[in-house]
Parts: sequence; C-alpha cells; structure tokens
Amino acid sequence: MASNKKVLLKVIILGDSSVGKTSLMNQYVNRKFSNQYKATIGADFLTKEVTIDDRTVTMQIWDTAGQERFQSLGVAFYRGADCCVLVFDVTAPNTFKSLDSWRDEFLIQAAPREPDNFPFVLLGNKVDLEPRAISAKRAQQWCQAKNNMPYFETSAKEGLNVEQAFLAIAKNALAQQNQSVDLYNEFPDQIKLTNTQKSNGGGDSCAC
Amino acid sequence: MISVFSLGGFNISMSGDEKDYKEKLIVAVKKEVKQVMEESVTRKFVHEESGSVTSLCGAVENCLSQGLRRRALGLFKTSSTTALLHKVAKHCSEANRISKKVQEIENSDPNRRSSSSSDSVSKPTLKKNLSFPSSPLPRFLWIRLALFDKQLAKIIDYLVSNASKYYDKDALVADPDYGSILSSLLVGPCALDYSRTKSVEQFWTDPPADELVKMHRISSGHSTPPSVRRPILNFGRSLNTSSDDPLLSRNNSQHIAKDYVESLHQNSRAALLFGKNNVLVMPAKDDVTEPMPGYLSLHQTPSGLTIKWTPNQLMNGFTEESQDKSIYWDYALQVRLDEIVYVHCHQDSEAGGTIILVGQDGVQRPPIHFPKGGHMLAFLSCLETGLLPRGRLDPPLWSQRAGANSTTKRRRPLPALSETEEATKDYVFRIIDNSDHKDIFKRKDLMNVKASLPTKVRVQLCSTSTSSESSSKSFSIDQQSVPDSPPSVYIQAVCDSMKKQIISRAFYGWLAYCRHLSTVRTHLSGLVNGKIINGDGASEGITVEKWAELCTDGVVTDYAEVYRYTYFGGIANELRTQIWPYLLGHYKFGSTEEQRKALDEETKQAYENTMSEWLAVEAIVRQRDKEDQAHAIAKLSSESTSGDHAPNELHRDLSNEVFEDVITDDEDSESDHDTPNRKNKKTRENTIRYESEEEVDKGETNKDCDQQQNNVQRNDTGALNSSKILSVEEEEEATCNNNCDNLEPDPREELHDFIHNVIVTNASVDISNIETEGHVRNHLDAVTEENNSSLDTCIETHGLASPARSACVSPASSNGGIYTQELLKTFGLNLHRIEKDVQRCDRNYWYFANENLDKLRNVMCTYVWEHLDIGYMQGMCDLVAPLLVTFDDESLTYACFCHLMERMIENFPNGNAMDCHFANMRSLIQILDAEMYEQMHAHGDYTHFYFCYRWFLLDFKRELVYPDVFTTWEIIWAAQHVASSHFVLFLALALLETYRDIILSNGMDFTDIIKFFNEMAERHDAVAVLKLSRELVLQLQLLIENK
Repeated sequence: MASNKKVLLKVIILGDSSVGKTSLMNQYVNRKFSNQYKATIGADFLTKEVTIDDRTVTMQIWDTAGQERFQSLGVAFYRGADCCVLVFDVTAPNTFKSLDSWRDEFLIQAAPREPDNFPFVLLGNKVDLEPRAISAKRAQQWCQAKNNMPYFETSAKEGLNVEQAFLAIAKNALAQQNQSVDLYNEFPDQIKLTNTQKSNGGGDSCAC
Repeated sequence: MISVFSLGGFNISMSGDEKDYKEKLIVAVKKEVKQVMEESVTRKFVHEESGSVTSLCGAVENCLSQGLRRRALGLFKTSSTTALLHKVAKHCSEANRISKKVQEIENSDPNRRSSSSSDSVSKPTLKKNLSFPSSPLPRFLWIRLALFDKQLAKIIDYLVSNASKYYDKDALVADPDYGSILSSLLVGPCALDYSRTKSVEQFWTDPPADELVKMHRISSGHSTPPSVRRPILNFGRSLNTSSDDPLLSRNNSQHIAKDYVESLHQNSRAALLFGKNNVLVMPAKDDVTEPMPGYLSLHQTPSGLTIKWTPNQLMNGFTEESQDKSIYWDYALQVRLDEIVYVHCHQDSEAGGTIILVGQDGVQRPPIHFPKGGHMLAFLSCLETGLLPRGRLDPPLWSQRAGANSTTKRRRPLPALSETEEATKDYVFRIIDNSDHKDIFKRKDLMNVKASLPTKVRVQLCSTSTSSESSSKSFSIDQQSVPDSPPSVYIQAVCDSMKKQIISRAFYGWLAYCRHLSTVRTHLSGLVNGKIINGDGASEGITVEKWAELCTDGVVTDYAEVYRYTYFGGIANELRTQIWPYLLGHYKFGSTEEQRKALDEETKQAYENTMSEWLAVEAIVRQRDKEDQAHAIAKLSSESTSGDHAPNELHRDLSNEVFEDVITDDEDSESDHDTPNRKNKKTRENTIRYESEEEVDKGETNKDCDQQQNNVQRNDTGALNSSKILSVEEEEEATCNNNCDNLEPDPREELHDFIHNVIVTNASVDISNIETEGHVRNHLDAVTEENNSSLDTCIETHGLASPARSACVSPASSNGGIYTQELLKTFGLNLHRIEKDVQRCDRNYWYFANENLDKLRNVMCTYVWEHLDIGYMQGMCDLVAPLLVTFDDESLTYACFCHLMERMIENFPNGNAMDCHFANMRSLIQILDAEMYEQMHAHGDYTHFYFCYRWFLLDFKRELVYPDVFTTWEIIWAAQHVASSHFVLFLALALLETYRDIILSNGMDFTDIIKFFNEMAERHDAVAVLKLSRELVLQLQLLIENK
C-alpha cells in the first residue's frame, strides 16, 4: 500500500527529555519557537510538504516523549519509519551519553529491514546556549563510528540550521524509501525523476 | 447533472460528415472537462483513478487520433498516439519529459505488454477501447501522465502549432478553430491537482482539526452540539451490533445532516446519479400543510441506491441564524431503494409528475412531485440504470425493439410517461431484484429488523423488552395502509413474501439482541456500578449553601450525597480546597474539625521532615553537578587545545562512559593536567582505605557507620563545602567507575539495589590492596546489612504519614543517613528530570507563570524521594499541578497527590492499567457505537487506541483547560461511588462520540485521530462531554440491568 501512495516520509525524533525535540519540530514546520512547550506525553506529529529534487513529498514528523520509560509505547509509532532523528543537548553531557541506547532501542523496536543501513541523523541542539559541554568534534566522532551518520548543530530557538537539517533528513528518508520500494510498484508516483530531468531536451526550443 | 459516464461513448462511423464528427469529438472533450472540473469543485480534489479522468483521457485520445498521418510518420505499425508522443518528444521538452516517464513505467515491468499498442486506439470505436479491459496499466497512459504532470495542454498546443507535420489537413488538430479550442479546453484540467491518496480510506494531508469541526458545525446546521443527541441514537443502533451496514438504520435527521456533509465533501463513496432542485415533497409531518420544494438526489453506493431529498431551506445559505433550521432536518427524506418494492407514477400533463415509493412493508413514502419538463422521466431512467445489473424495473421503462443487431438498440420510453400524451396517466413499476432470491434472507437484512419497519413500530421495538412475543406483537401493530392500486396479480405474492420476511426478521432481530446482551453482560458488567443512582436535584452540584447543609458542625457524614452531588454537578470552586481531601480519601467522612486540623498538622510535619531529608541529598547532588559542569568544560577546552588526545577521546566516546561523572578515571585525570589535585585525591583515598582496614581489623562496623552518619549530618546542616565528605563520595564513585566495567552507566538502570552497589564499591579496594579483598568484602557486606536494618528501624519509628511508602528502597532518614553512590545517582537523576519538567509545566497558566514553581518542585521531589523505586515519570507534574493550584499548600497537595497516585500509578509504563483501558475501550465502542467500531476494525492500527494514552495517563488534564480539569477530576473521583469506577473510559468514549461524525465522515485512521485530538486539546466543551459521559454510563447500566 505504502508505495502506492504519494510519497509520505515518516520521521521519528528521539532523544532525552528536554533536549528540544518538540521545539525543533515546531520550528521546522511552523517556524515558531515558544518557551512554553510542555513535556510531550504520548506522541504527536506534524506534517510538512517539502520538495526534493523536484519531487513533492510529505514529511510526517513524529515527536515522542523523552523519558526512556515511555519507550515501550514506541513500537506503535516507530513502525514504518523512514528516518530516525536523534537529538541531544550540547550543553547537557548526559543527553549525548544516552544516544547509543536511543539508537539501539529504536532499531530493536522499529526492526527495519536493514538495521545497518537505516538512516539516522544526529542533531546537537541548543547551540545558542552557553556553556557547551559537548564539542562538535566529539559528536562527529560518534557519528563517524555509526556509519557516518550526518550531524547538524542546531538551535531550535533561533532557527539555526533547522531547515538544512530537516532537508537532509528528508533526503535520507526518501533514499531509504526508494530502496525499499516494492517490486509491484504501480504507476505513477514512484517514478524517479532525478536523472531524467537534466539529461535531454534542456536546450531544445519548443513551441509550447 | 447525470454523470453516468460512457467511455469514448460516441459511436460514429468515419464515413459521416467530417465537420460533424469533429464537432462531436470536441463536444465530448468539453463534456468530460466539465465533469472533471465539477468533480474537483464538489469534492475538493480529483482522484487519479476517477472515472471522469479516464473519460477525459479517452476523449482527448480520440481527438488526437483523428486524422493522424500515420503512414507519413511511420506510425502505421503501432498506430498510436503514444508513438506520436515519442516522436514529438525530440522537439518539445514537455513531451520529452512525459515520454521518458512512459518508457520508464513500461520498462519497469518487462513482461507487460507495451502500452504503445495496448493503451491507444487507432479509431475511436468502443470495441477497441474495451478490448484490453484487464490491462494492468491504465489506459491512455501518456495522456494521463501528461495531465497529472500539468503538461497536457502544452503538448497539445505544440501539436496544434505543428499540426502540418503530423496531421492530415482536415484533421481536428490541424483545424484552425478546433485545434486551439482543444488545447485551451485542457488548460483547466491541467491546473488541477490530482490525488491518489485522498480517497476516503487513506488521506493524511487532511484539514486541521479546527477546519473539520467548523465544517461540520456549519453543514450540520444545528444549534445543539452533536453530543447531546448522540446517545439515544447509539442506544438504538446498539441493538443490532452485527449489522454490516449501519446506514440501514438511519432515518434520522442527524444522519441526513451527516450524509449531507458527506455528499458535499469528499464523498467518493457514493456516485451522484441524479440531482434536481425544486422538487416538491409533502413531508409526513403534522405541521406541514403544503408541499415543500427541495433538492432531490439519487446516490449510488456499493451497497445500493439511495434517494435523498433535502428541503431548500437547508440547501441555501448556511450563514444566517440557524436556530430554527433543525426542524427542516426532520422533513428531509432518505430512502434506500432496497426497501422499496413499488414505484407509483402519476403523470399529469399540466403539473408534471408525481412519484410515490412504496416499501416492502407496504408503507408509502411521501409523494415526490417533479416540475414539468421530463424530470420524472429522467429520474426514472437514472433509477433504472442505477438498478442494473442487480435489479431492474418491471415492466422496463424503455421498451426495446431489437434492431438489425443488438448493439444498436433503439429505445423509446413507455408511452405513458412521455409528456406529449395529453391525458393524465398512472403507472406502477415494480423493482425486481435479479440476484439470487436467497439474498433476501441475507444476514445483513435480517439483522436490521428495524430498518424497514415504520417508525412507530421501530420505536416500540426498541423500547420493549427482548421477548419474542412482544417483538412480534409490535410488528403487527400499526401496519399502515397498503398502496392504493397495486396490480392484483402481485398481491398474493407480496403478502406471502411480507409474511415470511416479517417472521424471519423478527426471529433474527430477537436473536441478535440476545447475543448482544450476553456480550454486554460478559464483558462490560464490571465497568459500571449495578445500582443506578439518579441525579435528581443534584445537577447544580455542591454549592456553598448545599455544603453548609451537608457539613453540619464541621462534620460531614452523608458521604453518599457528597459523591452524588459532585458526580452530577461538580463542586463550587471556593469549596474545592475543603472537599477534595474527602474525595481523595485524605480526610475521613465523619471526622471532626479538630481531627482534621491534627491530621493537617501531622501531614505538615511529616512533609517537612521528608523534605529536609532530600534537601540534604540535593545539596550533595548540586555540588557534584557543579563539578561535573566544570569538568566537562575543562575537558572541552583541553580537547580543543590538544589534538594529541584525539584517539583517546574517540575510544572514550565509543565506550560512552566518559560522561558518567566527575573526576572519574585515571585517564581523565591525565588529560586534565591536574596532577597536584590528583595526588591529593590519591592521598585521601589511601587514608580512607586505611581507616577501613583498621576498622576491619577491629571489627567495629558500627563505628564506621556512625562516623559516616556524622559526616552526612554535618552536611545536612548546610556545610556544603565540607570537602572531606564530598571526597568520600568522589572516591567511591571514582573507584566504582574505574574498576567495574560491568557496571552499566546507563541512566535507565536507576535502581541497582543497595547491596549490589556496596559490593561494587567494595571491589574498588582491590587496586591498592588485593590481599585484603576478602576481608574488606566481608566487612562491607556486614555494613550493608547493618545499614539496611538500621534504616528499616528508622522508617518504622519515623511514622511518616505517607500511605504508600515504598518498601523497596529505603533511602535515609533525617536523623542521619548513609547515601550510597547509587542513591545519590538515582536521586540526582530524578531531580534533574523533575526540574526539567517543572520548568515547563503549564507556564501559560497564571499560577505557574512565575512563582509557585518551587512548590511544585518540592511536592514532586518529596514524592519521588519517598518512592524512589518508582522514580519520577513524565506526567506526574501534570497530576500535581491542579492539586497545587487548588490547595496552594504543599503538604496537603502532597498528601492528596499520594492518594491520587494510588490509582494513577498503574497507568504509568510499569503498571498494566493502560492496556486494560484500551481493551475496555474496544469493548465499549463495540457495544455502544457499532459503526465506529466497524471503521476502527477496518484500520487495524486502531486496536492500539494510543490516541487515548494521554487522556488516561493524566485523567484528561492536558485535554481541558484548568477550570474544566477541576470539574472533570472531582467527577471522576466521585464517580466510583456513584456510577462507575472506570468513569475515565466513558469520558474517553464521550470525547470520541462528540466528534464521531467528523471521524467517520473523514474516514480518519489512527494517525489522523491522534493529530485531531492533539489539535483539539483544551478546546473541548467539557460540560457537554461530561454530560454525555454520564449518559453513556447510564446507557450501559440500563442495558445490563434490562435482564
């Protein structure tokens, strides 16, 4: 079914409580920041349409509760995810420390077909705050060891790098989805336009 | 109006007049364009697989094929417009793009026959079109693609501009007028967005909750909220849960409202076959004396045909005051053709025609009067078409005279119905179901006993008890007059058939009802209290006057009345501080004012004692945090200055233990360039160890214990900088991290138990002094036991008021304690979590805007300190907040919160109440709203009911605004003594039911519902929802009681 629809990318945001998952999501989708967000209970999602390589896709971004104990809920929400976004707070070392367990837990619960190649993206949030406890280098090193996971330093408050980060997330998610397209993929939404666009006819004059 | 599309439906030979033919081609395109545009307006979207898209593509294909110079272009083999497209692609970029797409699709399945030959036709004949009906690729592939890609108009424009290359002179495309007409006609459809997803079953880019609600309110045109009228319906419907098609049982105005909404918005379930305005109907209501004009429509759904008539008053302008509109909904008609046996037509050359539908039950539906102009004939002809292939009109409306071949039937309506005849004529048609006769006895029909019964009878059936006797009796009542002039031939058959059906329906209806009741009793009897307590006089709730009455001389004895009044009407705000402690079980009914004062005092004392305990620990945690922070920053700077440590760091990153705590391992100390300090520490470490050893030798374990207690006590008094104590802690930690690789630093393992921790600490000694290891271990184990027992004693003697003090971990007491590493770590972790959540708890509410956050934090910390085995879980702050706002008193809030948590704790991840709630919700919905249940069943995901998660976890606290939370909570608390100890389920159900029409009509799935309710948070009409939930409880009580 899924491959038959217009492209829907399901993205899950994970990370310790209070690292800014809700804020990042809202900054990206609504371009708004509020310091009055409440702790997320259960799960919520927002959708946003993005255009990637001339293709309009809808991102369904799931925001989850940050306390690990609520992860048992996850399985219902993680299912069918196309990309997982890990978030930590660059001023709080512990939030960095638990990234491993978030990642592992996600892989267990979502059980993607190829766990090794499943796209993750790491966001170091709150770079507007001082003092910093986790350097970009350390985060990058961690990412290198995890199959070169892309890393972005963001500030949901100032909207710094948020757009870029989510664009990368969408691209990774799309790549993941294209890989896992069914063989019985019917016309016409799964046509890959990426290569066909530029190859020919660009300079041709046309009477239209 | 009529949208029975025919594919390439013009069947004209090429030999005919060319001009005429081209005209016809263009007209066909025009018609289809109009159809598509209409669809996009009425449904807000056009589905890619919509029939009208296919027809449009077919019409365009025909235009393009006509006069194509196949030979000249070398297309004679494939003879297709697809080949033309590929040819044009070289010169036209739009065509190129589409051509690539087409090839890609074709290549994606090599086994598939090339669409070049399969999807196109050389001549616009119907035969050709139908010759590949099972092709998996859609027909007219390239035209479709170009249309969806919004390129079609441009490509055709190109063809028209370069027509001489590709077309014969007299071709339509080459025609100066028709060519440009064709391309400009297609500009409109090319501007539309086509969708594959926005079908009823699956769409996820739905309008926001707001819009849905608004849309619903406007179109239903009711001043009363839907929730108010819902339960009765449900009750009625609940009698036939096994029905496949609940549509059958709706004749109610609300349903028409809903259907009306459906037919205006995203109604791809039903096709509109006929529509005519200003059709006069005389509603069967006493207060209507004249026929009313309205909109008559004929809809085709997979389950059959439905005729609807909506009064003009409802069709025009929703904007004006809609107070008295609701009455018109009662007049609206909805008739399922399944129920109709005879169609009586009265033709009058002067006034038009009248149709009377007569049901299986012999009851006439209100006459439908068509204005003059052949509308009745049009209607009948649509009706006949719609009945095919399963049913037909007898005698046929159209007399058929077989011509030379069967494909060219010439049709002529029955003479009686053509208006050219002058005389007034009557005619009767019988609707015949061609499908197997047994179908009549299909379970579906049989279960819906009420569906085809006259309203009066139905009402009676619902209200009578289940005995077959009484239900069959009710069938015999009130059979209304049999139609005036049915041909006598049929009477006997009809009577027999009616008799059979009535008897079998009665039986099956009774059977279904019995089964249903037994399900209810088995699964749901535990959800409500058996005794029904009525709310007479209690709807005002507990007012100040009422309270004065109940609380005589400061003693409240009549708890039943307190509960009853609260349940039915809530509590006046100024009384909540007094009454809530009763409802939560903190104050006992019958207690005197003095007793309560004493209890308050005691509570306060205990609370303060507990606070002082954890405040001491907090001080240590804070100090360590500061050092953590300093250390992390130091490390950060050292990292940036000295690159040679990089491999080291990488290693640590991977093992991910670096961040565990301060001043930990040797590795860190090295990179710290902090040798003097480190030496210092080493020295201290040695000293302590030395002391330990000494004590082991002497065997004075108690002394050791006392000493540590003293140290900590000093710390209690505020000696934050007592470096000695802190160093003890640090050393413990350092050794712990150094030596115990197996100790998982994962913060989630909050609860290593006490003994394990001490052993771990013990193991550290082996670095310096391996030979004494055994000794030391023995010693420390002894300490452990000692500590445990002494702590137990502390707890016992302490006599805290906490009703549910955790038995697992015994932290410490105010008169001195030993803070194990584990305890510090656990509490520190909880403390941080609490702070994070307190900081963002309802900051938009005035009470928490600036101050009072500390109070919240104190209550929360005290609870967690007392229940360290449970620990802090997100959501707890939300549960404390309304209590604190009400009491504005920390100790009372704390005590009440403890009582509240006795029930609520089971909802949190470690408990199992949530799963029970979900399971009960499922059963409840199944019983009380079968239609909703069907939909949920269709979406497998629904079974999780996770959209209720937050509702249950926080007792709806996040769903409602503060004043409503207060009322809701007290009603939940009171409910267990009045109506149901699972009142939250009924609240949840009421919330769902309040929006059921929106949920159903938009075909919402799991994710849609989550989003909808998240967006609707704090915007519900709490009063209505509470009222509805009480009604639902009563409904279930009545169902169960009715034995």
